[in-house]
Amino acid sequence: MKTAKYRTYILVWVGLVILTGMTFSVAGRNLGGWTVLIALAIAGTKSGLVLNYFMHLRSEKLSIFRVIIPLVMAVFLVFILLTFADLAFRGGVK
Amino acid sequence: MILRSFLKMDEAKAFVFEETREHTSAKLGMWLFILSELLLFGGMFILYSAYRYKNPLDFHHASRELEVLLGTFNTIILLTSSLSMAASISALQRGQRRLSMALLIVTMSLGLLFLVNKGFEWGTKIEHGIYPNSPTLLARAKGEILFYGLYYVMTGLHGLHVLVGICILCGMLIFIAKDKLNHTRFVPLENAGLYWHLVDIIWIFLYPLFYLIT
Repeated sequence: MKTAKYRTYILVWVGLVILTGMTFSVAGRNLGGWTVLIALAIAGTKSGLVLNYFMHLRSEKLSIFRVIIPLVMAVFLVFILLTFADLAFRGGVK
Repeated sequence: MILRSFLKMDEAKAFVFEETREHTSAKLGMWLFILSELLLFGGMFILYSAYRYKNPLDFHHASRELEVLLGTFNTIILLTSSLSMAASISALQRGQRRLSMALLIVTMSLGLLFLVNKGFEWGTKIEHGIYPNSPTLLARAKGEILFYGLYYVMTGLHGLHVLVGICILCGMLIFIAKDKLNHTRFVPLENAGLYWHLVDIIWIFLYPLFYLIT
């Protein structure tokens, strides 16, 4: 395994700060329901950067490390979908 | 000048090392813990999303009372602390002991600064009578009460994680000082780093969901 370069870290940090700025500016605009999705998408991208570069998932040789996060995300997504499947139809199916 | 020599040092010392089984299993253990933490906060995020779905206007209303600039500043603080954390591990792996310790101190200081800011935020709210079960809060709309309940619990639990992280990093600092961690043995520092990045990731999601509800 190779030690990452400092420059990579600094570049990732710059990307993260830029993305934070983007989240901040998106929130100020009126995009209706899209705002949440865009904010979450940006947050997801930021997490992706932290996971891959700061937490070294990208340079992991063993596949288990690279599988584990997407797997848990998928499980979590199912939790969310099931929760909303319940919530959305509480008044009965129309 | 300093930057150029810093970058040159960077190029020269990106060395390769063999990963032992012990190293891998220690890392895996930490990742499993991280996943359990993700589910812990994940459950609360689901609760948040359910209540926000049911009370969109109240959530928007309550969110506007939070100080966005302070929240944004805190986000930048944690992102920078993640940078210094990752760099600290790199430094130790290259045998740059003093740099590693200095970067650890930077990380811990930024974490502390985050907590101080949080303290001010909470302090202002509490001064205005808004805290869990306060009469002022209970007199408000149902959705707003839920928002603040979630706000205090989630940022509180996150803050606790930051505090624990600072203590762990302090321990790592002492280990490096005593040469128990060095360029041949650095897995505990890597794992501490993974924990710290987790804390950062949780905040990356907390920030837009609490401060930027439009």
